Amino acid sequence: MHEMSVALEICRITEEQVGRDALPFVREVGLMVGSESGVEPDNLEFCLDALLSHAPFAGARVAMERSAGDDLRVTYLEVDDDRPPN
Amino acid sequence: MTVRRIEVRERVMEKNDQLAAEVRRRLAGHGVRALNLVSSPGSGKTLLLERTLQQLGSELRMAVVTGDVQTENDADRLAKWTDRMVHAVVTGGGCHLDARQVSAALDDLDLADVDLLFVENVGNLVCPASWDLGETAKVVVFSVTEGEDKPLKYPKMFRMAKYAVLNKVDLLPYVPFDVDKAVEYAREVNPDLEFFFTSALTGEGMESWYGFLRAQACTPAET
Repeated sequence: MHEMSVALEICRITEEQVGRDALPFVREVGLMVGSESGVEPDNLEFCLDALLSHAPFAGARVAMERSAGDDLRVTYLEVDDDRPPN
Repeated sequence: MTVRRIEVRERVMEKNDQLAAEVRRRLAGHGVRALNLVSSPGSGKTLLLERTLQQLGSELRMAVVTGDVQTENDADRLAKWTDRMVHAVVTGGGCHLDARQVSAALDDLDLADVDLLFVENVGNLVCPASWDLGETAKVVVFSVTEGEDKPLKYPKMFRMAKYAVLNKVDLLPYVPFDVDKAVEYAREVNPDLEFFFTSALTGEGMESWYGFLRAQACTPAET
C-alpha cells in the first residue's frame, strides 16, 4: 500500500502551513481518516510516526480521528511557539 | 511552553485532485475522452487494448499511457499497434498512477491529434480507486478466472468505475464462474455500472466494446 506516500504528503502539507523552520516545533498533527479513504489507519500512523521522529521534525505526535466515508485530511497542527522570534 | 493550534482542514489528496482537474481541462480543451483501465494483474487488460488498437486504429486516433511497476513490456506490446503514441510510466514500486504522472505524460502527446486516450493503470484493484487521474471514466476489467465476488471484495473500485469489462468469457465452459451472480454483486455496489462481456482472445463480445468506444470518441468531453 501507499501509506508512506500519504504520510509524506501530510508532512508536505505541514511544511506548507508552518514553514520549514517551524517544523521542529510542531507538537501534534491532527488527522481525519475515513474508513473508505483507501488508507489503513495503523499503517499510516506507523509511517507518519517514523517521519515525525526524524529531522526536520523533532518528535510530533499523531492524533488520528476516524470516520466513516472517504475523508482523508490534515485537520489541525499544534505548534510550540516558545522559540526565538524571526 | 506556548502551544498554538492551527486549523488546517486540508485534504491529503488535494494536490493530486488539482492536477487531475487540470488534466481534465486539458483533455476537454482538445475534445479528448480518457478511459482509465483498472484491474488486478492478469485480467487481460493489455490484450483488450492490443485488440482495440488493432481493430479501431484506422478509424480512431488512440493514444495510450501505460503504468507498470517494472518493465515496459505492456508499452512495447501496445506500441506495435499504434504508431501514434504510447507513453510508459515505470513507477518503480508505486502501486498506482497519479495525476502528476499522467499530466507529465500528456506533455509528450500531441492532444490535437488524439480522439481517445487510454490509461492502462498498474494492475491493482485497491490503490487506483483513490487516485483521480483526470479521466473521463474508469473502466474496471476483471475476468472469469477470478471469483464472482470480486465486486464485493473491492467495492471502492467498482463504485468508482462507470463501466466494467468481464473478460475471458471463452473460458466459461471450464470454470465455475457465475456471470449473473457477478453482475448482481457488481450492481449491489454500483447500480449504474455498465457491463461488457468479452474475450479479447477470441473476439467474442468485442464488437459491443468497439461500438462503445466509437461512441465515446464522438462525444464531446466534459470538464
